[in-house]
Amino acid sequence: MSDFWWEVIDPIQSVLDGMMFGSIYALIGIGFTLIFGVMHKINLAYAAASIGGAYASLAAFQVLDAPAIVVFLCAAAASGVIGYLVYICCFRFIPTAMPLATLMSSVGMLILIDEVVVHATAGMPEPYPAMFDDVMIDLEPFWIRGDLLMIFALSVIAMGILLYILYRTRLGIATRAVAQQPSAAQLCGIGQQNTNAVTFIITGALGGLAGAMVGASVGILSPLLALPLTVKGLIVTVIGGLGSIPGAIVAGLLVGGFENVFQYFRGVTERDIYVMLLLFVFLTFRPQGLFGRISSRD
Amino acid sequence: MLELRNLSKHFGGVKAVDDLTLTVNEGEIFGLIGPNGSGKSTTVNLICGVFPTTSGAVLFEGRDITDAPSHRVVAAGITRTFQNIRLFGDLTVWQNLWVSQNSAAERGKGWFGRWLGGDRVGRGDAEDLLKFAGLEHRSGELARNLAFGEQRRLEMARALAAQPRLLLLDEPAAGMNAEEVSQLAARIKALRKYGMTILLVEHVMELVMGVTDRIAVLNFGQKIAEGAPAEIRENPAVRTAYLGTADA
Repeated sequence: MSDFWWEVIDPIQSVLDGMMFGSIYALIGIGFTLIFGVMHKINLAYAAASIGGAYASLAAFQVLDAPAIVVFLCAAAASGVIGYLVYICCFRFIPTAMPLATLMSSVGMLILIDEVVVHATAGMPEPYPAMFDDVMIDLEPFWIRGDLLMIFALSVIAMGILLYILYRTRLGIATRAVAQQPSAAQLCGIGQQNTNAVTFIITGALGGLAGAMVGASVGILSPLLALPLTVKGLIVTVIGGLGSIPGAIVAGLLVGGFENVFQYFRGVTERDIYVMLLLFVFLTFRPQGLFGRISSRD
Repeated sequence: MLELRNLSKHFGGVKAVDDLTLTVNEGEIFGLIGPNGSGKSTTVNLICGVFPTTSGAVLFEGRDITDAPSHRVVAAGITRTFQNIRLFGDLTVWQNLWVSQNSAAERGKGWFGRWLGGDRVGRGDAEDLLKFAGLEHRSGELARNLAFGEQRRLEMARALAAQPRLLLLDEPAAGMNAEEVSQLAARIKALRKYGMTILLVEHVMELVMGVTDRIAVLNFGQKIAEGAPAEIRENPAVRTAYLGTADA
């Protein structure tokens, strides 16, 4: 093969690795975007709740010594419960007429979850189980890391289940009806608060899985994971277009790929600078995001 | 069946609905008419719990549903259409009906059966409604892509999907041509055969006069007349209220 080919293999490899990891960002982006679609509110506590769910699943790992996949599912379940609590505390009783109030209450929840985690673990990182982290699949000239492939596969399965619910069940259709015409949906017998609560539970479970996979990919859980995941999730949501699920998926893979290729060329300490610049490029030239459109609802 | 007792709604100093008392009997098609801004739509919104009443009460089948949240009003057996169409534009025609099914049988299925049961649930009912609305060939189309008349028909079918006992039609003929209005009248008469009670809020006189059993006339939020269509037509107070409006 030519010299040029050898020059580009490593960057391509890092883009592929990044996109597989980016499926986690896609999950978080979907969570932000779904809640925005249904409530027209940003839940800033979302990624922190996801990491919180992963922490809760440590019980299954440390006490029961459960296999990694069971630990992940426990994280999803715990995060679903946390999602419901976040809804009750931060959104349910705060008047929708005050958009800043729910923004602040969810920021407060983000910090609260962080503080609880720091307190419970004395601020020390905890080991977290991984799957297939010793597997390497050789696809000459590329390598596929087993743990990244597992992350990607689990994300795709989770997205598949979510899309099935959203597009094929009455629950999902009702959720989309509320997103499109909240008052008319109520007048068709769809309880808005129930729909909101279910949305928080489902997106919570999705986030818990994402939080668990972040822990699995770095081998530890740390309170320091919450804020970067929040920022990446929001960037993915903005780039994909607020309220667009396909947008969140594409943007998640995009941000993951970009992040990793920046890391390859410029190092881990510099990469997020470029990710942020990417955000500004999008906000300037395509503020509605990749799949966004001007929303029309009453 | 439906009873409004001294119902009032004030927006600041404006008395949109002022001490309104009326009764709609079971199986009746009741017309609510009045000039623009006379409080017709506000009355519908009060019945449906869109915004809180200032004073007075709404009773349905003897139960007090004053200020009940909208989805409870639907569960009690009242559904409505909107003056300005509010379909779920990004859902298909069929999904618009499916998501609104709210019969007692539906509610008896339990949470999982009802919400995660897949789209075979209630398909037969929805197909009957599609036929009723003349939309059977449009079932898979997104609601936003329907023509205006089709959207109006879908809204009515959607309101019926919940199997209400009382149907509120808020200016269903607005923007329709004469032929569409006569089709609408035929549909309303067909519903009467099924024993549906209907409260028809309308501007278009030939429709109201043609299909209703009784009519109440609002002006400035107050009821100024009530009676059979023929009596209303001859009522001098009604003529005064409508004088100068285009459709009187």
